[in-house]
Amino acid sequence: MLPHSTAATRSERRKAGACDRGDMYEAVHAAPEGESTVSRLAITAREYGYDGIVVRNHGDQRAEFDAAAVAEETGVDVVNGVEISAEDPQQASGYLGNFRPDYTLLVVHGGTTELNRFAVEQEKVDVLAHPMAGDGDLNHVLANAAAEHGVRIEVNLRPVLRESGGTRVRAIKDLRKCWELIEDADAPFVVSADPRSHLQLRGVRELRALGEEIGLPGEAIESGLAEWGRLAERNREINSESFIEPGVELGPYDPES
Amino acid sequence: MKHLPKHLQPRYRYLAVGIESWPDATVDRRGFQRALWDETRALLGDPGSAAVDPSVLQFDREGSVGRAIVRVRRGTVDRARAALACIDAIDGDPVGLRVRGASGTVRACEEKYLGGPPEPSEERTVVYQRQERTATARSPRVDVRQGDAFLGVTEFDCETPNRDAEIGENHESDRD
Repeated sequence: MLPHSTAATRSERRKAGACDRGDMYEAVHAAPEGESTVSRLAITAREYGYDGIVVRNHGDQRAEFDAAAVAEETGVDVVNGVEISAEDPQQASGYLGNFRPDYTLLVVHGGTTELNRFAVEQEKVDVLAHPMAGDGDLNHVLANAAAEHGVRIEVNLRPVLRESGGTRVRAIKDLRKCWELIEDADAPFVVSADPRSHLQLRGVRELRALGEEIGLPGEAIESGLAEWGRLAERNREINSESFIEPGVELGPYDPES
Repeated sequence: MKHLPKHLQPRYRYLAVGIESWPDATVDRRGFQRALWDETRALLGDPGSAAVDPSVLQFDREGSVGRAIVRVRRGTVDRARAALACIDAIDGDPVGLRVRGASGTVRACEEKYLGGPPEPSEERTVVYQRQERTATARSPRVDVRQGDAFLGVTEFDCETPNRDAEIGENHESDRD
Protein backbone atom coordinates (compact mmCIF):
# COMPACT_ATOMS: atom_id res chain seq x y z
CA MET A 1 0.00 0.00 0.00
CA LEU A 2 2.64 2.43 1.05
CA PRO A 3 4.85 2.27 -2.09
CA HIS A 4 1.76 2.71 -4.24
CA SER A 5 0.60 5.81 -2.47
CA THR A 6 4.10 7.27 -2.60
CA ALA A 7 4.26 6.71 -6.35
CA ALA A 8 0.86 8.33 -6.80
CA THR A 9 1.92 11.34 -4.79
CA ARG A 10 5.06 11.66 -6.80
CA SER A 11 3.27 11.53 -10.13
CA GLU A 12 0.71 14.00 -8.87
CA ARG A 13 3.45 16.30 -7.77
CA ARG A 14 5.08 15.98 -11.17
CA LYS A 15 1.79 16.80 -12.83
CA ALA A 16 1.34 19.79 -10.59
CA GLY A 17 4.85 20.89 -11.45
CA ALA A 18 4.07 20.63 -15.13
CA CYS A 19 1.05 22.84 -14.65
CA ASP A 20 3.04 25.45 -12.78
CA ARG A 21 5.59 25.51 -15.51
CA GLY A 22 3.02 26.26 -18.18
CA ASP A 23 3.16 25.27 -21.82
CA MET A 24 6.50 25.77 -23.51
CA TYR A 25 6.57 27.99 -26.58
CA GLU A 26 9.36 28.98 -28.92
CA ALA A 27 9.27 32.00 -31.23
CA VAL A 28 10.49 31.17 -34.74
CA HIS A 29 11.23 32.73 -38.11
CA ALA A 30 9.62 30.58 -40.82
CA ALA A 31 10.14 30.52 -44.60
CA PRO A 32 10.52 32.72 -46.62
CA GLU A 33 12.57 34.47 -43.93
CA GLY A 34 13.86 31.23 -42.46
CA GLU A 35 14.72 27.93 -44.08
CA SER A 36 11.79 25.86 -42.85
CA THR A 37 8.04 26.13 -43.14
CA VAL A 38 5.75 26.67 -40.19
CA SER A 39 4.59 23.06 -40.22
CA ARG A 40 8.16 21.72 -40.29
CA LEU A 41 9.06 23.95 -37.37
CA ALA A 42 5.95 22.81 -35.55
CA ILE A 43 6.73 19.11 -36.02
CA THR A 44 10.29 19.60 -34.84
CA ALA A 45 9.18 21.76 -31.92
CA ARG A 46 6.90 18.96 -30.77
CA GLU A 47 9.82 16.52 -30.91
CA TYR A 48 11.89 18.95 -28.87
CA GLY A 49 9.27 19.15 -26.15
CA TYR A 50 7.41 22.35 -27.02
CA ASP A 51 3.66 22.80 -26.89
CA GLY A 52 3.49 25.72 -29.26
CA ILE A 53 5.33 28.05 -31.57
CA VAL A 54 4.98 31.75 -32.25
CA VAL A 55 5.71 32.76 -35.82
CA ARG A 56 7.64 36.02 -35.58
CA ASN A 57 8.61 36.75 -39.17
CA HIS A 58 9.44 40.35 -39.92
CA GLY A 59 6.65 42.39 -41.46
CA ASP A 60 8.27 42.46 -44.91
CA GLN A 61 8.84 38.69 -45.08
CA ARG A 62 5.62 37.24 -43.84
CA ALA A 63 5.01 33.52 -43.90
CA GLU A 64 1.87 32.20 -45.54
CA PHE A 65 0.22 29.57 -43.41
CA ASP A 66 -3.01 28.49 -41.86
CA ALA A 67 -2.31 28.44 -38.14
CA ALA A 68 -5.36 26.34 -37.27
CA ALA A 69 -4.63 23.75 -39.97
CA VAL A 70 -1.00 23.38 -38.94
CA ALA A 71 -2.04 23.12 -35.30
CA GLU A 72 -4.47 20.36 -36.18
CA GLU A 73 -1.95 18.42 -38.28
CA THR A 74 0.91 18.66 -35.83
CA GLY A 75 -0.72 18.97 -32.43
CA VAL A 76 1.33 22.10 -31.75
CA ASP A 77 -0.32 25.43 -31.04
CA VAL A 78 0.64 27.97 -33.70
CA VAL A 79 0.50 31.65 -32.82
CA ASN A 80 0.44 34.20 -35.56
CA GLY A 81 2.82 36.98 -34.60
CA VAL A 82 4.86 39.58 -36.40
CA GLU A 83 8.17 41.26 -35.69
CA ILE A 84 7.98 44.90 -36.62
CA SER A 85 11.23 46.35 -37.88
CA ALA A 86 11.02 50.07 -38.32
CA GLU A 87 13.51 52.81 -39.02
CA ASP A 88 12.19 55.06 -36.29
CA PRO A 89 9.44 55.28 -33.66
CA GLN A 90 6.98 57.10 -35.99
CA GLN A 91 7.14 54.32 -38.52
CA ALA A 92 6.91 51.66 -35.80
CA SER A 93 3.85 53.38 -34.42
CA GLY A 94 2.18 53.24 -37.83
CA TYR A 95 2.97 49.55 -38.22
CA LEU A 96 1.59 48.78 -34.78
CA GLY A 97 -1.79 50.14 -35.75
CA ASN A 98 -1.77 48.37 -39.11
CA PHE A 99 -0.70 44.97 -37.82
CA ARG A 100 -2.74 44.78 -34.64
CA PRO A 101 -5.96 43.48 -36.21
CA ASP A 102 -4.20 40.68 -38.14
CA TYR A 103 -1.78 39.30 -35.58
CA THR A 104 -2.07 37.78 -32.13
CA LEU A 105 1.37 38.91 -31.02
CA LEU A 106 3.20 42.11 -31.86
CA VAL A 107 6.94 42.07 -31.39
CA VAL A 108 9.07 45.14 -31.95
CA HIS A 109 12.50 44.51 -33.42
CA GLY A 110 14.64 46.39 -30.93
CA GLY A 111 18.30 47.22 -31.04
CA THR A 112 18.47 51.02 -31.11
CA THR A 113 18.00 53.28 -28.14
CA GLU A 114 15.09 55.16 -29.79
CA LEU A 115 13.17 52.02 -30.71
CA ASN A 116 13.82 50.37 -27.36
CA ARG A 117 12.51 53.45 -25.59
CA PHE A 118 9.52 53.67 -27.89
CA ALA A 119 8.61 49.98 -27.46
CA VAL A 120 8.72 49.86 -23.66
CA GLU A 121 6.32 52.80 -23.43
CA GLN A 122 3.65 51.35 -25.70
CA GLU A 123 1.00 49.18 -24.13
CA LYS A 124 0.16 47.92 -27.62
CA VAL A 125 3.56 46.25 -27.88
CA ASP A 126 3.66 42.69 -26.56
CA VAL A 127 7.39 42.05 -26.79
CA LEU A 128 10.51 44.13 -27.26
CA ALA A 129 12.81 41.73 -29.13
CA HIS A 130 16.58 41.56 -28.61
CA PRO A 131 16.96 45.03 -27.07
CA MET A 132 20.72 44.54 -26.72
CA ALA A 133 21.35 43.69 -30.38
CA GLY A 134 23.42 46.10 -32.48
CA ASP A 135 23.74 49.46 -30.77
CA GLY A 136 20.82 48.80 -28.49
CA ASP A 137 21.03 49.09 -24.75
CA LEU A 138 18.78 48.95 -21.73
CA ASN A 139 18.89 50.75 -18.43
CA HIS A 140 16.81 50.84 -15.27
CA VAL A 141 14.52 53.55 -16.66
CA LEU A 142 13.56 51.46 -19.68
CA ALA A 143 13.21 48.30 -17.61
CA ASN A 144 10.89 50.10 -15.20
CA ALA A 145 8.88 51.48 -18.12
CA ALA A 146 8.55 47.96 -19.53
CA ALA A 147 7.29 46.74 -16.16
CA GLU A 148 4.81 49.61 -15.95
CA HIS A 149 3.43 49.09 -19.47
CA GLY A 150 3.52 45.30 -19.45
CA VAL A 151 5.92 45.07 -22.38
CA ARG A 152 7.88 41.81 -22.32
CA ILE A 153 11.62 42.18 -22.74
CA GLU A 154 13.12 39.39 -24.79
CA VAL A 155 16.10 37.45 -23.54
CA ASN A 156 17.41 36.31 -26.90
CA LEU A 157 19.75 33.33 -26.65
CA ARG A 158 20.51 33.26 -30.36
CA PRO A 159 23.99 34.86 -30.20
CA VAL A 160 25.01 32.54 -27.35
CA LEU A 161 24.00 29.52 -29.42
CA ARG A 162 25.31 30.70 -32.77
CA GLU A 163 28.26 33.01 -32.23
CA SER A 164 31.69 32.28 -30.88
CA GLY A 165 34.69 34.05 -29.42
CA GLY A 166 34.56 37.73 -28.54
CA THR A 167 31.15 38.25 -30.13
CA ARG A 168 29.69 35.59 -27.88
CA VAL A 169 31.43 36.95 -24.79
CA ARG A 170 29.88 40.36 -25.45
CA ALA A 171 26.49 38.78 -26.07
CA ILE A 172 26.63 36.90 -22.77
CA LYS A 173 27.69 40.07 -21.00
CA ASP A 174 24.72 41.89 -22.52
CA LEU A 175 22.31 39.15 -21.54
CA ARG A 176 23.54 39.21 -17.96
CA LYS A 177 23.02 42.95 -17.83
CA CYS A 178 19.59 42.55 -19.40
CA TRP A 179 18.67 39.92 -16.83
CA GLU A 180 19.86 42.05 -13.89
CA LEU A 181 17.70 44.93 -15.08
CA ILE A 182 14.68 42.67 -15.61
CA GLU A 183 15.06 41.22 -12.14
CA ASP A 184 15.55 44.59 -10.51
CA ALA A 185 12.54 46.18 -12.21
CA ASP A 186 10.51 42.98 -11.93
CA ALA A 187 9.78 43.47 -15.62
CA PRO A 188 7.96 40.79 -17.61
CA PHE A 189 10.14 38.87 -20.08
CA VAL A 190 10.20 36.16 -22.71
CA VAL A 191 13.02 33.82 -23.71
CA SER A 192 13.77 32.57 -27.21
CA ALA A 193 16.55 30.85 -29.12
CA ASP A 194 15.16 32.72 -32.15
CA PRO A 195 15.53 29.81 -34.61
CA ARG A 196 15.45 30.40 -38.35
CA SER A 197 15.19 26.76 -39.36
CA HIS A 198 14.08 23.52 -37.76
CA LEU A 199 17.77 22.72 -37.23
CA GLN A 200 18.19 25.78 -35.02
CA LEU A 201 15.57 24.73 -32.49
CA ARG A 202 16.91 23.55 -29.14
CA GLY A 203 15.11 21.66 -26.41
CA VAL A 204 13.74 23.27 -23.25
CA ARG A 205 16.15 21.43 -20.97
CA GLU A 206 19.08 22.33 -23.18
CA LEU A 207 18.19 26.02 -23.06
CA ARG A 208 17.67 25.76 -19.36
CA ALA A 209 21.11 24.22 -18.90
CA LEU A 210 22.65 26.86 -21.13
CA GLY A 211 20.96 29.59 -19.10
CA GLU A 212 22.43 28.22 -15.88
CA GLU A 213 25.85 28.17 -17.49
CA ILE A 214 25.73 31.84 -18.50
CA GLY A 215 24.19 33.13 -15.29
CA LEU A 216 20.44 33.09 -16.01
CA PRO A 217 18.43 30.90 -13.63
CA GLY A 218 16.95 27.77 -15.24
CA GLU A 219 13.48 28.58 -13.86
CA ALA A 220 13.65 31.97 -15.54
CA ILE A 221 14.39 30.34 -18.90
CA GLU A 222 11.37 28.07 -18.56
CA SER A 223 9.15 30.85 -17.37
CA GLY A 224 10.29 33.01 -20.29
CA LEU A 225 9.46 30.28 -22.79
CA ALA A 226 6.07 29.76 -21.21
CA GLU A 227 5.43 33.51 -21.27
CA TRP A 228 4.91 33.42 -25.07
CA GLY A 229 2.04 31.02 -24.49
CA ARG A 230 0.52 33.12 -21.71
CA LEU A 231 0.74 36.21 -23.90
CA ALA A 232 -0.92 34.42 -26.80
CA GLU A 233 -3.69 33.18 -24.56
CA ARG A 234 -4.27 36.64 -23.13
CA ASN A 235 -4.38 38.28 -26.55
CA ARG A 236 -6.68 35.65 -27.96
CA GLU A 237 -9.07 36.28 -25.12
CA ILE A 238 -8.92 40.00 -25.77
CA ASN A 239 -9.43 39.55 -29.49
CA SER A 240 -11.96 36.75 -29.29
CA GLU A 241 -14.95 39.02 -29.91
CA SER A 242 -13.52 40.51 -33.05
CA PHE A 243 -12.20 37.30 -34.62
CA ILE A 244 -12.32 33.59 -33.93
CA GLU A 245 -9.82 31.26 -35.52
CA PRO A 246 -11.15 27.88 -36.53
CA GLY A 247 -9.88 25.15 -34.25
CA VAL A 248 -8.98 27.55 -31.49
CA GLU A 249 -11.32 27.24 -28.56
CA LEU A 250 -12.11 30.51 -26.94
CA GLY A 251 -14.73 29.37 -24.47
CA PRO A 252 -15.66 31.52 -21.49
CA TYR A 253 -13.18 31.56 -18.66
CA ASP A 254 -14.17 28.89 -16.21
CA PRO A 255 -11.98 28.47 -13.15
CA GLU A 256 -13.78 25.20 -12.29
CA SER A 257 -12.57 23.29 -15.35
CA MET B 1 48.27 -0.26 -15.07
CA LYS B 2 46.28 -2.13 -12.47
CA HIS B 3 42.76 -0.92 -12.61
CA LEU B 4 41.29 1.16 -9.85
CA PRO B 5 39.24 -0.20 -6.98
CA LYS B 6 35.55 0.22 -7.62
CA HIS B 7 34.95 3.22 -5.40
CA LEU B 8 37.67 5.14 -7.25
CA GLN B 9 36.56 4.28 -10.75
CA PRO B 10 35.07 7.19 -12.63
CA ARG B 11 31.26 7.23 -12.75
CA TYR B 12 29.59 8.07 -16.02
CA ARG B 13 26.22 8.99 -17.45
CA TYR B 14 25.24 8.24 -21.01
CA LEU B 15 23.31 10.72 -23.15
CA ALA B 16 21.26 9.66 -26.14
CA VAL B 17 21.62 12.46 -28.67
CA GLY B 18 19.52 12.96 -31.79
CA ILE B 19 21.25 14.78 -34.65
CA GLU B 20 19.39 16.20 -37.62
CA SER B 21 20.92 17.85 -40.69
CA TRP B 22 20.16 18.59 -44.32
CA PRO B 23 20.35 15.51 -46.55
CA ASP B 24 23.62 16.54 -48.23
CA ALA B 25 25.53 17.00 -44.97
CA THR B 26 28.61 14.89 -44.35
CA VAL B 27 28.38 14.60 -40.60
CA ASP B 28 30.43 11.76 -39.18
CA ARG B 29 31.49 10.51 -35.80
CA ARG B 30 34.87 12.16 -35.95
CA GLY B 31 33.38 15.53 -36.85
CA PHE B 32 30.79 15.26 -34.08
CA GLN B 33 33.41 14.34 -31.51
CA ARG B 34 35.54 17.29 -32.54
CA ALA B 35 32.60 19.69 -32.48
CA LEU B 36 31.65 18.41 -29.03
CA TRP B 37 35.15 18.91 -27.67
CA ASP B 38 35.48 22.35 -29.25
CA GLU B 39 32.12 23.52 -27.96
CA THR B 40 32.63 22.13 -24.47
CA ARG B 41 35.94 23.93 -24.31
CA ALA B 42 34.52 27.15 -25.70
CA LEU B 43 31.60 27.23 -23.30
CA LEU B 44 33.01 25.60 -20.17
CA GLY B 45 36.72 26.23 -20.51
CA ASP B 46 39.53 23.78 -19.91
CA PRO B 47 38.59 22.91 -16.32
CA GLY B 48 34.98 22.42 -17.35
CA SER B 49 35.98 20.20 -20.27
CA ALA B 50 38.09 18.06 -18.00
CA ALA B 51 35.22 17.76 -15.53
CA VAL B 52 32.64 16.80 -18.17
CA ASP B 53 35.07 14.71 -20.23
CA PRO B 54 32.60 14.09 -23.07
CA SER B 55 33.23 11.30 -25.52
CA VAL B 56 31.18 9.88 -28.37
CA LEU B 57 30.70 6.14 -27.85
CA GLN B 58 28.35 5.35 -30.69
CA PHE B 59 27.34 7.19 -33.79
CA ASP B 60 25.17 6.20 -36.68
CA ARG B 61 23.51 8.16 -39.36
CA GLU B 62 20.95 7.45 -42.05
CA GLY B 63 20.17 10.23 -44.52
CA SER B 64 19.51 13.42 -42.60
CA VAL B 65 19.10 11.87 -39.15
CA GLY B 66 21.75 10.55 -36.85
CA ARG B 67 21.95 9.23 -33.32
CA ALA B 68 24.77 9.09 -30.91
CA ILE B 69 25.58 8.05 -27.39
CA VAL B 70 27.76 10.52 -25.55
CA ARG B 71 29.47 9.55 -22.31
CA VAL B 72 29.97 12.25 -19.69
CA ARG B 73 31.06 12.22 -16.04
CA ARG B 74 28.27 11.78 -13.58
CA GLY B 75 27.02 15.07 -12.18
CA THR B 76 27.87 17.02 -15.31
CA VAL B 77 24.86 16.13 -17.47
CA ASP B 78 23.47 19.65 -17.47
CA ARG B 79 26.80 21.22 -18.36
CA ALA B 80 27.09 18.72 -21.20
CA ARG B 81 23.57 19.60 -22.35
CA ALA B 82 24.50 23.25 -22.48
CA ALA B 83 27.57 22.51 -24.59
CA LEU B 84 25.60 20.22 -26.92
CA ALA B 85 22.99 22.93 -27.40
CA CYS B 86 25.69 25.27 -28.70
CA ILE B 87 26.84 22.92 -31.46
CA ASP B 88 25.50 24.87 -34.39
CA ALA B 89 27.26 23.06 -37.22
CA ILE B 90 29.52 20.06 -37.71
CA ASP B 91 32.25 20.53 -40.33
CA GLY B 92 30.28 23.47 -41.69
CA ASP B 93 26.98 21.59 -41.98
CA PRO B 94 24.20 23.05 -39.83
CA VAL B 95 22.82 20.54 -37.35
CA GLY B 96 19.92 20.29 -34.95
CA LEU B 97 20.79 18.49 -31.73
CA ARG B 98 18.60 17.20 -28.97
CA VAL B 99 19.30 15.16 -25.88
CA ARG B 100 16.66 12.46 -25.91
CA GLY B 101 17.55 11.20 -22.47
CA ALA B 102 20.26 10.23 -20.03
CA SER B 103 20.94 6.86 -18.41
CA GLY B 104 23.43 5.24 -16.11
CA THR B 105 24.39 2.51 -18.59
CA VAL B 106 24.93 2.36 -22.33
CA ARG B 107 22.41 -0.42 -22.61
CA ALA B 108 19.63 1.40 -20.78
CA CYS B 109 20.38 4.45 -22.88
CA GLU B 110 20.02 2.48 -26.12
CA GLU B 111 16.90 0.68 -25.04
CA LYS B 112 15.08 3.61 -23.55
CA TYR B 113 15.96 6.43 -25.89
CA LEU B 114 17.34 5.16 -29.17
CA GLY B 115 14.71 2.57 -30.02
CA GLY B 116 14.87 0.97 -33.44
CA PRO B 117 16.90 2.09 -36.45
CA PRO B 118 16.21 5.59 -37.80
CA GLU B 119 13.42 5.85 -40.33
CA PRO B 120 14.85 5.49 -43.82
CA SER B 121 14.52 8.44 -46.16
CA GLU B 122 13.60 8.36 -49.83
CA GLU B 123 14.21 10.56 -52.82
CA ARG B 124 11.04 11.76 -54.46
CA THR B 125 9.60 14.52 -56.58
CA VAL B 126 7.18 16.82 -54.84
CA VAL B 127 5.19 19.84 -55.85
CA TYR B 128 5.95 22.71 -53.53
CA GLN B 129 4.65 26.18 -54.29
CA ARG B 130 3.41 24.92 -57.66
CA GLN B 131 6.83 23.80 -58.79
CA GLU B 132 8.06 20.27 -59.15
CA ARG B 133 11.18 19.76 -57.12
CA THR B 134 13.42 16.96 -56.06
CA ALA B 135 13.28 16.22 -52.38
CA THR B 136 14.39 13.86 -49.67
CA ALA B 137 11.50 12.68 -47.56
CA ARG B 138 11.19 11.09 -44.14
CA SER B 139 7.47 11.15 -43.72
CA PRO B 140 6.05 13.62 -42.86
CA ARG B 141 9.29 15.63 -43.14
CA VAL B 142 10.42 16.69 -46.60
CA ASP B 143 13.66 18.49 -47.48
CA VAL B 144 13.13 20.24 -50.79
CA ARG B 145 16.12 21.08 -52.92
CA GLN B 146 16.31 24.73 -53.82
CA GLY B 147 19.36 25.61 -55.86
CA ASP B 148 22.36 24.73 -53.71
CA ALA B 149 20.39 24.71 -50.50
CA PHE B 150 17.40 22.96 -49.00
CA LEU B 151 14.13 24.09 -47.57
CA GLY B 152 12.57 22.18 -44.67
CA VAL B 153 8.89 21.51 -45.39
CA THR B 154 6.39 18.77 -44.62
CA GLU B 155 3.99 16.69 -46.62
CA PHE B 156 1.22 19.08 -45.56
CA ASP B 157 2.96 21.86 -47.49
CA CYS B 158 3.22 19.83 -50.70
CA GLU B 159 0.64 19.02 -53.29
CA THR B 160 0.45 15.57 -54.80
CA PRO B 161 2.89 15.44 -57.72
CA ASN B 162 0.60 13.89 -60.32
CA ARG B 163 -1.61 16.90 -60.96
CA ASP B 164 0.71 18.15 -63.67
CA ALA B 165 -1.99 20.20 -65.33
CA GLU B 166 -2.16 22.54 -62.37
CA ILE B 167 1.48 23.51 -62.40
CA GLY B 168 1.62 27.07 -63.62
CA GLU B 169 4.59 27.95 -65.80
CA ASN B 170 4.88 31.52 -64.70
CA HIS B 171 4.55 30.87 -61.00
CA GLU B 172 7.84 31.49 -59.38
CA SER B 173 8.65 30.71 -55.81
CA ASP B 174 9.34 33.69 -53.61
CA ARG B 175 12.69 32.27 -52.70
CA ASP B 176 14.21 31.75 -56.15
